[in-house]
Amino acid sequence: MPKNPHLPKNGAKPDQAQSRDLNSNLGPEPDLSVKLGPLKLKNPVLAASGTFGYGLELAAFCPPQDLGAVITKGLSLKPWSGNPSPRIVEAGFGLINAIGLENVGLEAFLEKYLGPLKKTGAVVGANVLGQSQSDYVALTERLSQSQVDFIELNVSCPNLQHPGGLSFGSDALSLAQITKNSVKAANDKPIVVKLPPLVTDIVSLAKIAQDNGASAVSLINSLPALSINLESRQANLANGPGGLSGPPIKPLALRQVALCAQALAIPVIGLGGIMDHLDALEFIVAGAEAVQIGTGLLVDPTLPVQMVSDLAKYLAQNNLKNLGEIRGTLKF
Amino acid sequence: MGEVFERRALGGRNHLLEISLPKGDFKALGRFVRLRAWPRLGLGPGTLLDRPFSIHRAKPGLLTFLIREVGPGTKILTSLNKGDQVRVIGPLGQGLDDLEPNFLSQKWYLVAGGAGLGPMGSLVEALGPKAKLFYGERSGPDQVRLDYLKSWFKKSSQENIVATTEDGTGYGRPGLVTQPLIQSLALEKRAMIACGPKGLLAALAKIAQQNGLRYLALAEERMACGLGVCLSCSLPKLDGSNFRVCQDGPLVDGLSLDWESLRA
Repeated sequence: MPKNPHLPKNGAKPDQAQSRDLNSNLGPEPDLSVKLGPLKLKNPVLAASGTFGYGLELAAFCPPQDLGAVITKGLSLKPWSGNPSPRIVEAGFGLINAIGLENVGLEAFLEKYLGPLKKTGAVVGANVLGQSQSDYVALTERLSQSQVDFIELNVSCPNLQHPGGLSFGSDALSLAQITKNSVKAANDKPIVVKLPPLVTDIVSLAKIAQDNGASAVSLINSLPALSINLESRQANLANGPGGLSGPPIKPLALRQVALCAQALAIPVIGLGGIMDHLDALEFIVAGAEAVQIGTGLLVDPTLPVQMVSDLAKYLAQNNLKNLGEIRGTLKF
Repeated sequence: MGEVFERRALGGRNHLLEISLPKGDFKALGRFVRLRAWPRLGLGPGTLLDRPFSIHRAKPGLLTFLIREVGPGTKILTSLNKGDQVRVIGPLGQGLDDLEPNFLSQKWYLVAGGAGLGPMGSLVEALGPKAKLFYGERSGPDQVRLDYLKSWFKKSSQENIVATTEDGTGYGRPGLVTQPLIQSLALEKRAMIACGPKGLLAALAKIAQQNGLRYLALAEERMACGLGVCLSCSLPKLDGSNFRVCQDGPLVDGLSLDWESLRA
C-alpha cells in the first residue's frame, strides 16, 4: 500500500492543511459582532440545533459563551423518544440522519439545562418543534418567560411532517399562522424561523416569515434524502428516509441564502455544510448576517471556536474592520 | 494528536493498530475513542465522520485497536503506517470498573462475535484466569490469528479460549458461539460480557435470562459525535426510555434493552 499523500506528517493536524502564519502585523482586534434583531452577538458563529445538545455537553471542546450563540436541541412539549436505530449513515461526502427529534421535552430543558447554560454567559436560542400549530404557540409562550434569548421555530425538519406530508414551513398558510402566533406568544423575544430547503420559491416563504414578525430566518435545514443497501434492498436507516447534511449541501444553501438575503430586510442566518471559516465567509458574502455550524461540529467539536479565531485573522489580514465590509458583496 | 506506533496484519481483514499518545494513561475496560486519520472533508465517500472504536488495550502513552476492514474508514485505518498522524478524541464512555467496581472479584464469560473481539483484549488482560473467552466467527478467513489470541492468556489458562466458526472452516469448533457457551453454563454459571452483532447480543439476553445471569452487552453503535449530542446511538430500553450508548455505555445491562425492536 503506497503512502497516502493526504495523511499529514510532522505533527500537522489533518484538518489544519490551510493554516498560515497569520500572526504578523495584526492591527486592532477586528469587530466580529453581528445583530440579530434586538440582540447583539459577539461573533457570527452559532452552534446549530441538534449538534450541540443542550449547550454544555461539548463545553470542554467549545465553550458556549465563546460563540455568537448556541441553539439547543429541538424541543417538543413532551419528551420524544425518536426513531429506531440505525439513525445515521454517511452518504457520499455527506451525512444522512433520521434521529427523529429525540429530546427531553420543554420542562426538563427549563429545569435541568437552561440555568447552567445561561450561567456561562452564553447567548441561547431554543429550537422548538411541534405536531400542530398550537404546539408552537405553547412552546413559545413558555419559553418567553424563561432565560432563553431567542427562539428558533423548526418548521422544516425532514423528519417531522404534519399529516399532509409536508413540513409546516413549506405551506404558506401554516407558516404564516405559526410565525404570527409564535411572535405574539414570544412577548418580544426574537423569533427565528428555520426554513425548509426544497421549496418552489424560498424567497416568498422567507417573506412570509418576515411579514409575520420574524426577527430573522435561518436556512437551510437538511435535505430529504435516502440511502439504500443494494444487497438487502433496505434503506440504510431504520426510518427509511432522513435528512442530508454536510459539505454536499453547501452550494444549495448558498444559493437559497443569497436569494433570501437580497430580498429580505431581516437578517438571514446561513447554514449548510460549513466546515471552516472560509465557508462561513462565502455565506456572509452571499448576505448572511451570521452562520450556524451543524455537521461540522460533529466532525470536529472544536470547529466553531477555531472559526471565530480564523475569522478574526482573516479580517485583520485583509484589512477589514468588520464583517459588514464584505457582507452581501456577492456580484451576480 | 496521536501517531501510529505500529500497524500489523492479524489474519483475515484484521489489523492491530497501535497509536502513541503524549498524554494517554487510562484504563480501557470497554471505553472507546474517536479516531480520524483523514482531512476534515473526508478522504473519499463515506469518510466525513470520525470512527468510534473500542480500545483494545491501553498502556501509558499507547493505545491499541483491533480493526477489521469493512468500509472506507477502516480501509484507511488499516492502511496506516508508522508515524502517520491520527486524531484521537477520548477516552469516552464508561468502563467495566465504573459499572462494576468489584469486577475482579468474580469470574466472567466473555463472548465476542466477529469484530466484537476488539474490546475483549483489555478485559482479558485485567481478569487473567478469571476470564473465559468465547470467540465466534462466521468463517475461518475472518478469524484473528490463533497465536495472537493465545498471547492474551498465560500458557496455563489458554484452555479458556473457545473459538468457533459457523461454517467449520477455521480453528476451534464448528457452529455458533452460543453452543459451547451453553455447555459451559451447564457446568458453571458466570456473569457475561458480550460484544458483537445485535443478533448475538439478543440471543445472549435470552440465555442470560434463562440462567439468571448478570449480562453486560457492550454495544458498538454508529455514532456521529460520541459526546452525547447527536443522539445517533440511542437504543430502546424495555421501560420505554432510551439508552445513550456513547455516554451511558457502551456497556449496558443486556436485559434492559428491547432487542426485538432492533434491526439485527
